[in-house]
Amino acid sequence: MRINSLIYLISEGIKSVFKQKKMTSASVIIMCATMFMFGVFYLIGENVNFVMRQVESQQGMRVVIIEEATENDIENLQVDIQRIDGVSTVTFVSKEEALASMKNWLGEYQDVIAGYDEDNPFPASYFVTLTDLERNAEVQEKIKALKSVDKITSSNDTISKLASIAKSLQTVTLVLLSLLIVISIFIISYTIKLTVYARRREISIMKYVGATNGFIRGPFIVEGMVIGVISALITLAVVGFSYNGTLSKILESTVIQNMTVSFYTFDQLFVKILIVYFILGIGIGILGSIISMRKYLKV
Amino acid sequence: MIEFKNVSKKYDTGKEAAVHDISFTIEKGEFAFLVGSSGSGKSTIIKLMLKEEEPTEGKIVINGQDTTYLKQNKIPYLRRSMGIVFQDFRLLPDKTVYDNVAFAMRVVKATPKHIRRQVSMVLSQVGLADKAKVYPNELSGGEQQRVALARAIVNNPSMLIADEPTGNLDPNTAWDIMELLNDINLRGTTVVVATHAKDIVDRMNKRVIRISEGSIVRDKKGRYDSED
Repeated sequence: MRINSLIYLISEGIKSVFKQKKMTSASVIIMCATMFMFGVFYLIGENVNFVMRQVESQQGMRVVIIEEATENDIENLQVDIQRIDGVSTVTFVSKEEALASMKNWLGEYQDVIAGYDEDNPFPASYFVTLTDLERNAEVQEKIKALKSVDKITSSNDTISKLASIAKSLQTVTLVLLSLLIVISIFIISYTIKLTVYARRREISIMKYVGATNGFIRGPFIVEGMVIGVISALITLAVVGFSYNGTLSKILESTVIQNMTVSFYTFDQLFVKILIVYFILGIGIGILGSIISMRKYLKV
Repeated sequence: MIEFKNVSKKYDTGKEAAVHDISFTIEKGEFAFLVGSSGSGKSTIIKLMLKEEEPTEGKIVINGQDTTYLKQNKIPYLRRSMGIVFQDFRLLPDKTVYDNVAFAMRVVKATPKHIRRQVSMVLSQVGLADKAKVYPNELSGGEQQRVALARAIVNNPSMLIADEPTGNLDPNTAWDIMELLNDINLRGTTVVVATHAKDIVDRMNKRVIRISEGSIVRDKKGRYDSED
């Protein structure tokens, strides 16, 4: 297609965006709402995944070593654990370190463990983290079978709960997104239908002088794309501000500060969300305009 | 060249006039009237030429190409070979005279340079060179139909099809338009005019194809309703 034809199509499309101000703003609002809702779920989802990965690396299992184990046994055990499929890191925690971390955790209630310095009851252990939380049970079985292992303690529940939250969040996002996309496509196609209706004379003349359907569709597709891009940019700004606001509130709370997890900043997600929004906006715009044109191209 | 071979068209709804077993040939460079009262089937024949409707039976050949089973995506290219003029002018009110004509060239992707040259030329051919920047609602009916004519011929079609081109005009203006059509025909364009303007047809003394109740009842050079 020639450049000047392309310029013609684009300028016609942009003109009609501003001619139909009311309907254009209505569809921009609806599309913004769609993209905002999607953005909220998307950002929560990304963060839950992010936190889960952090927890995954922190939450491991404690493999308690039997009291009678020799230094040689302990070293062999490390090698054996490391060899198991699904194990990420294996860290040795000596009796002294175990006591020290307990002291640290107790804070001002030191008297609970008074006298433990002379006769340390805490066993030495290995702290094992996994590459994949789902293999937790399988890895535990294998470790239990090894020599010099006393018992295994782990916080199974926290892990599986987080995993199920992440999974259901993904499903909700997906269902909601497809629903909102369908609604948006219909609303934007309705908006463009108004332009198509207002320009039906022009379209019929175009048909009579031999314009191809592709050429006639051009300006309307541009109109849909422009509405999509405008909505994407507005939503991006709104989501960015509200995300940063909400995040700083969350980070102020002591509960979160005590948990050693961090969240994404908006900057880290910016490019990802920008791409997703542009694809969404432009895609919805194009689909909506194609739907709105179908009837009028049959002359 | 337009050729209809035993063409019939039936409508399911019965809203529009059907045609039965119509055959005629309009040669390249010919001027032909299609006459008959409203509801006789004139418009249906025009729609069949334009490929706006499909024939139920028969065969239609335009410029040597069988268009009976033309694919949907080939229709635009067929229409580029014909200029079309309607009774109600069908101009775009928010575009100037110049842009209304240039529009027909833009949609077939002509270059800006070609558009500028060609539009000025056809506007002076229809006698509206000085009205290029005027909007259609500032023009008289006759002038508006001239703009429509300019738009119809701007892409140099090999034939011009006019459906009741003088229906909305007073007799003097109508005659001016008809002279313009004749002028276009003299330059080599095939012209088909559907009309029931008896006076004009009589005065022009061209080939007259008379339609009545969907059939051709007469096809002869001469007057609107002269009997043999």
